[in-house]
Amino acid sequence: MFFRRAGISHTRYQQERQLWPLPIDRLTVLAVLAFLIAAPFILDRLYIVSYLLPLIIWSSAALGLNLLMGGAGQIHLGYGAVIGIGAYTAVHMMRAGIPFELAMIGGGLAAGAIGIVFGASALRIKGLYLAMATLAMQYIVDFVIVQFPAISGGSQASLQVPPVSFLGFPIQGDRTPYYVALFICAMITLFMLNVRRTSFGRALVAIREKDYAASIIGVDPFRYKLLAFWVSSFVGGLMGAVLATCYYRAISPDQFHLDLSIQLVAMVIVGGLGSVLGVFFGVSLILFAPILLNQTIALVADTTGLTLPMDLRAHLPLMLYGGLIMGFLLLEPLGLAKIYSNIRNYFLVWPFRHSRQ
Amino acid sequence: MDVILLAELAINGVFVGLMYALLAAGIVLIYKTSGIANLAQGALAMTGAYVVVMLAGGLGLSMWLAIPLAMAVMFLVGALIERVALRRMIGQPVIMVIMLTIGLEIFLRGLLPGLFGASVKRLDLGIPNAPLFLGDLLLSRALLIGGGVSLALIVLAILFFNSRLGVIMRAVSDNQTASWSVGIRVERAIAIAWGLSATMATTSGVLWGATQGVDWSLSLLLIKALAIAILGGLDSMVGVLIAGVLVGLAESMATGILDPIVGGGTRDVVASVIIVLTLLLRPHGLFGREHIERV
Amino acid sequence: MKLTRRKLVAGTALAALATQFPVRMALAQDKQVLFSFPQDFTKIYTFVTSEYSQGQRDYISLVNGRGGINGYKIVAEVSDHANDQPRAIEAYERAKSQGAVLIDPLSTPVARALVPRVLEDKINMITAFSGRSDAADGTVFPYVLPMSPNYWTQAGLLVDYFKQQDGGSLQGKTICFVHIDTPFGKEPLPIFENLAAREGFTFKAFPYTPPGNDQSAIWPQVRRARPDWTVFWGAAVGQTVALTEAVRNGLDMSRVSSSVWLSESDMDVVGRDQTVGVMKVEPCASGRDPKVIQDILAEVVGKGQGAGPEDKVGTSYYNYGVMMAALMLEGVRRATEIAPDGPVTGDWLNAGLTSITDFTAEGLIPPTTVTPEDHQGGGMGRIARWNGEKFEPATDWYQANQDVVWEQIHKYSAEFKATGK
Repeated sequence: MFFRRAGISHTRYQQERQLWPLPIDRLTVLAVLAFLIAAPFILDRLYIVSYLLPLIIWSSAALGLNLLMGGAGQIHLGYGAVIGIGAYTAVHMMRAGIPFELAMIGGGLAAGAIGIVFGASALRIKGLYLAMATLAMQYIVDFVIVQFPAISGGSQASLQVPPVSFLGFPIQGDRTPYYVALFICAMITLFMLNVRRTSFGRALVAIREKDYAASIIGVDPFRYKLLAFWVSSFVGGLMGAVLATCYYRAISPDQFHLDLSIQLVAMVIVGGLGSVLGVFFGVSLILFAPILLNQTIALVADTTGLTLPMDLRAHLPLMLYGGLIMGFLLLEPLGLAKIYSNIRNYFLVWPFRHSRQ
Repeated sequence: MDVILLAELAINGVFVGLMYALLAAGIVLIYKTSGIANLAQGALAMTGAYVVVMLAGGLGLSMWLAIPLAMAVMFLVGALIERVALRRMIGQPVIMVIMLTIGLEIFLRGLLPGLFGASVKRLDLGIPNAPLFLGDLLLSRALLIGGGVSLALIVLAILFFNSRLGVIMRAVSDNQTASWSVGIRVERAIAIAWGLSATMATTSGVLWGATQGVDWSLSLLLIKALAIAILGGLDSMVGVLIAGVLVGLAESMATGILDPIVGGGTRDVVASVIIVLTLLLRPHGLFGREHIERV
Repeated sequence: MKLTRRKLVAGTALAALATQFPVRMALAQDKQVLFSFPQDFTKIYTFVTSEYSQGQRDYISLVNGRGGINGYKIVAEVSDHANDQPRAIEAYERAKSQGAVLIDPLSTPVARALVPRVLEDKINMITAFSGRSDAADGTVFPYVLPMSPNYWTQAGLLVDYFKQQDGGSLQGKTICFVHIDTPFGKEPLPIFENLAAREGFTFKAFPYTPPGNDQSAIWPQVRRARPDWTVFWGAAVGQTVALTEAVRNGLDMSRVSSSVWLSESDMDVVGRDQTVGVMKVEPCASGRDPKVIQDILAEVVGKGQGAGPEDKVGTSYYNYGVMMAALMLEGVRRATEIAPDGPVTGDWLNAGLTSITDFTAEGLIPPTTVTPEDHQGGGMGRIARWNGEKFEPATDWYQANQDVVWEQIHKYSAEFKATGK
């Protein structure tokens, strides 16, 4: 059917090393990109502002976490705080009159600088113990933001983002924020796709598999663990700025609580650790399943005239959501990316059942 | 600073810490046998408390009948969870299994309030609230009883690991394949660990529910319990006991001494800082077994 | 049927798609006013939402059952946002697409996050007992309407009541304020501090970390401060734990008070007879006596059309819901009088809402007047005491310390206007 691989033979190493060696994959990517670019003109604005926009912002942020968790194998339970640092730094810079482009980088640098301090604990602590250390970061950052009115914005604890523009386009209305976020998301995605092919990415993989072994073959865990934390925090901080400017438009401390951290970890894991594509799937599931399940229940209850007690009706989506996460993991423990790759592999040789490789 | 106030805070802190430690002990129990951090432990505590409320309020049983009955029910629930969900994940990456327990947590948090109502329910253990004075020192009966029960159960759990079943569980945690080969029924051991852990969670749900009422927020106890389990060392029961007391004390003291100076709630931050510093010195927690890595 | 991977994936995808078809089904009919009530049924606000929402829906059923308002039917879309901002924003944008003219999120974080959007889109947002207190300044927040005594007013009412009880002077007294350490909990601090300077009492604040399930280290300090009056300020589990700890520390219950967030079910949790005397601020009457509640019992619940269990009718939070729904519908009524033929827009309803005059909902609420300047509605309330069975009013409807409150409102709204804080 779609994914015919017959007749494609690479004659040069370069061809095989491309990001997408199969023409059909390249076509798919192009089609998705074209759809995303055209989306504001063909879809209702509702889907742009409350589905696609959060999807690409959350995905970009989760990609940063994915580099750390999937790429370098370090658990991070304080990523929400990292995003918060970026958002607060950037918003304060923008309120001081610094343009968005610079404020965004500033947010990333600030998040990177603080993130690396906490990353330093990863040099000694591993696994769940590291999760606890990063969780501590979450609490400390939350505390600092809430306790210092200079940061949080006084007793209302809410900071509006001033009108700013990106490369000359004012970020307002429904479309511009979307395109700005899409552009940044595309950049980050490209970076993440390519990073695995660099020496940096390969060093991270070596550390993920076993840091002692990595140091024996000449990969310095000290340097690469810190670098992994820095890069991922930079991306997080950057996305914090984008999140504040393009989506929330007003920031408050509760946007960056532990809930966000856990949500992001869940996105990365459910999507499939280490997979760039999986992150997008994971984000869609975690972000939209509760909304869609709620609408499904409401729709079913309304059309069939089924009267459920309000408590049950409100909690049924939560049940189904938990069940869905469990179901996906039980059926495919390697995440949504693996489900996609199974489907893809199936169609690659369809109508035959097995490929030769 | 007022010495009596400090003493009061210290006593409160120790007992509250013990109550947290009880939930943490359940996490350790499961980690010790199967190497999984159960992030649904808080939700299990909530489930247990809901079951007690339903048995006592719904069926009209007396509290002293409802609690043991609920513990028995929860033992089965715990074992069932292991049988239905966890057993199918054997051999999968640990982080995926942990994610599964997060899914379970969300599921339970929807199921029980959905079925039995989201509003706060009363769980009355009949402990009088009237203040108990020891000179100038005020003691809270609920805390004393809660902490005492927790202490007893944790000590029991420590002793349990020296019994025959406990030794089996330790063997399972050391090496599942080797245990298999000497005739230990590994699955059964893990299922029992889950059952026992759910039972301990129930007790802790009841103790906390008696103070704060029963609703979904009982599942929030997880974060603190996890912190204590990690500080103590994920595979050490003694560690849980000591870490619980330490964290409880530190939080209580921080609230008493630091809060008035800083003007904000510092307890989570102080506890976090202590945990991070301890971990930097002892990367496997206070009493956790050093994990020998082979390259 | 065996559940396979393929079926699970396909089923999920199909269900997700199916929900998107009816987005605009609700639009077509004319002569209706669409309200959107995305509220938090499953996370932080579970303690209030189901009763609050039940009250709102019952009142709307009551009015619709009587033929609507001057020919207009009210349609309320209730959904769950779980206090999660992306979900709330989705619900808001959906409501906007469907043509809703009013949104009631009943959550402080969500209300704060939606402020820039509603100001831009001209959709009325009700922030009763939540959101920014300075939204009472209608000139700066034209589309944000608290329409209820905000937290600053509640603090002002309490201090005034304490003063009345202590013979007209608080000189040398001590007021302890135990609050959750979030922006919501810290909000009343400036009012207490200002009043402390003016009335001469000592003010001590004790923050506890959220969610507040363990306050055992706080209350021994409160006890030692020997407070003449104690105010605890939180929500959900923090409230019941605060009350329990107050009892355990032997504080005099008749000198302990809460904001509006205290209900019969909290009393059940702590023990009905142990908390006799505890006070709260009442924005509306509780119980089943008010005529509106009687009407609902007869015309809605009696006919089996109640939105929830009958025994919840008349609880404090149920009546809050009725109160807010009554104010919203009074706004619609006024709007239909101003412009009988619509068109139904945010501005149309806004004109109605801001011309509510001396509305009492047949004795349920204090006389409320909302103007384009004052979105709080006058700031009247009363203090009620728990008598072991129900909350009994200890005062008449009154207003107090509004000068201090408005000073704060203007201070912060001016700051919002100038710098967007």
